[in-house]
Amino acid sequence: MTSEILLTTTVGSFGKPEYLQKARNQFGRGKLSREELTKLERQATEEWIRRQEEVGLDILVDGEMYRGDMVAYFADLLEGYREGGLVRSYGNRYYHKPIIAGRIRRPKPMTVEWFEYAQSLTDKPVKGMLTGPYTMLDWSFNEAYRTRRDAALALAEVIRQEAEDLERAGAKYIQIDEPAIHARPEEIDIAIEAMGIVTQHLKAKTISHICYGDFAAIYPQVLKLPVDQLDLAMSNYQYRWLELFDRDPFTKELAIGIVDVHKHELESVDEAAEGIRKGLKYVRADRLYPHPDCGLKTRTVEETVDKCRVVVEAAKKVRAELAKVPA
Amino acid sequence: MKTTVIGAFPKISDDQGGQELRRALHRFDRGEIDASALDQVFDTVTRSAIAELEGAGIDVINDAQIRWDDLFAQFARSWEGVSRGPLERFYDNNTYFRQPVIERAISTGGRTLVRDFEFARTAAKTQLKAAVCGPLSFATLTAEDRAYKSLEERTFAVADALAAEIRGLGAAGATLVDVEDPAVAARPDLIALARAAYERLAKAGVPLAIQPYFFPADKVIEALATFPVAQVGIDLCSRDTKALSALGVLRTRTVVLGVVDARNTRLETEAEVATIIEAAAKVVGADRVWAAPTAGLEYLPHDVASRKLAVLVKGARAAMGVPA
Repeated sequence: MTSEILLTTTVGSFGKPEYLQKARNQFGRGKLSREELTKLERQATEEWIRRQEEVGLDILVDGEMYRGDMVAYFADLLEGYREGGLVRSYGNRYYHKPIIAGRIRRPKPMTVEWFEYAQSLTDKPVKGMLTGPYTMLDWSFNEAYRTRRDAALALAEVIRQEAEDLERAGAKYIQIDEPAIHARPEEIDIAIEAMGIVTQHLKAKTISHICYGDFAAIYPQVLKLPVDQLDLAMSNYQYRWLELFDRDPFTKELAIGIVDVHKHELESVDEAAEGIRKGLKYVRADRLYPHPDCGLKTRTVEETVDKCRVVVEAAKKVRAELAKVPA
Repeated sequence: MKTTVIGAFPKISDDQGGQELRRALHRFDRGEIDASALDQVFDTVTRSAIAELEGAGIDVINDAQIRWDDLFAQFARSWEGVSRGPLERFYDNNTYFRQPVIERAISTGGRTLVRDFEFARTAAKTQLKAAVCGPLSFATLTAEDRAYKSLEERTFAVADALAAEIRGLGAAGATLVDVEDPAVAARPDLIALARAAYERLAKAGVPLAIQPYFFPADKVIEALATFPVAQVGIDLCSRDTKALSALGVLRTRTVVLGVVDARNTRLETEAEVATIIEAAAKVVGADRVWAAPTAGLEYLPHDVASRKLAVLVKGARAAMGVPA
């Protein structure tokens, strides 16, 4: 019974090993073929599946070895998009911010082969990982659609197609990330409407990750987002979002961030376990999923493994405590 | 009527020749160059950005904020009592900043930006303005405050520190200072507090331009008319707004109209820009209208930023009846 509670997972991305970073650079300069790059991406994916199994995580991810950026990856594969120039995200980090330049269309599935490959490597469930329509819109320039709503709904349609293909391929968990959902709180209804299109026919468990922004500005409206589980960065915010649940009870499953992904220092198991206990005040153990706050692609392999191990050990500790409590 | 820019200009461009700063920062991080070599690159890129702004025909430029990591970085690095805290998304941009952490009472000698302003003056041929962050934005986006008991106390402490910086810039020759303060439009509920903070900034005795970009000014435009500033920036095109029809309340100020969207690549036409400027000029008078991008052009790729500058200047000249 206790193993079915506090299932541990991660948000999605892991760091790329050095050989893959080099290969991506070589591919970008035309010095490596697509086939050779894909081979190395598959190798890195397998390594991450093995690491997740070894650490003892319950619900796995493919680690996104084949993606550079969570929006640009999809934009590159969708018709209607063109690549934009470099824009600074922070400090000395830049990304190609994509441009919606025409009618959005999905010529073919974008993540299904990667899901199938990752799932074939393990008996544990692997999540299908998508970027939500509102975030796709908000993190793109829009030159083609008259309104932001029009663009979000067009994106929702192609993401729906992808999500349904993932489900047909066997995905039991489909995560549709919306980290930009609080960018403009007055547009929360657009995000909800768009997500409704994506998840309308899905039977898989649906999840949406939200991070970095003013979650309070969209709470409790965000409870109307048509997904089963919200996946929230909490540790980085000293769990202050939980206080919102005192006023308006949280009604979904909660994936709770219990280690900070943007600092090198490793949290103790006790600290992380305390985060889980905080979450348990609001969400039952069978509906609470401990994990790191956000994707781990900015951390080294060692840091990532250590942070995931802390999550797993913290969950074990709290499971043991719960097992001792008489029913 | 003049053209101007607000905030930061792109620090790099997509072509190999435009990536000098990016490479230098990587080399600095790896310990391959020292701080003085990095400083030289900052200066070179600043000089180049100033030349580009001038070459585009902008009448009143800034130093392009090439050294600024984010709106608060320069101040949080320099001020005593403040450190740089967690990363957070900067309003509705997929751009991040480090939230200030106030550890103890803030103090500053008021010379944080003086060296950079003096350097930019040596590089600039046209009128140069300075810029500081806004007190309300700094105070409301602070992650942690261990020194002040309330938002009001914090805002006033930040305003006093910024007033010292403005005084320092004035002594260095600045005749106009932009105060970039998105929170003023984002938080209409705090407009009275913001106004009181600007009273403190005004004591520095240097003409100020409040730049409350990113958000529609509709709810605060009347209040902005009472701020002790020479200029008021109004973003007219990045979101739905009726501010154009309300500009009449700003008749006693110079209005810095945001007429090209600094956050979307869609390029405005010369006619679109001219139409907005002409409409505004009818309300407040042509001599009280400046035209600008809606915010810092750093939210755009460099090549698009350059095209936005060009259409801004062409549209402004068309509005004035000056041949392009």
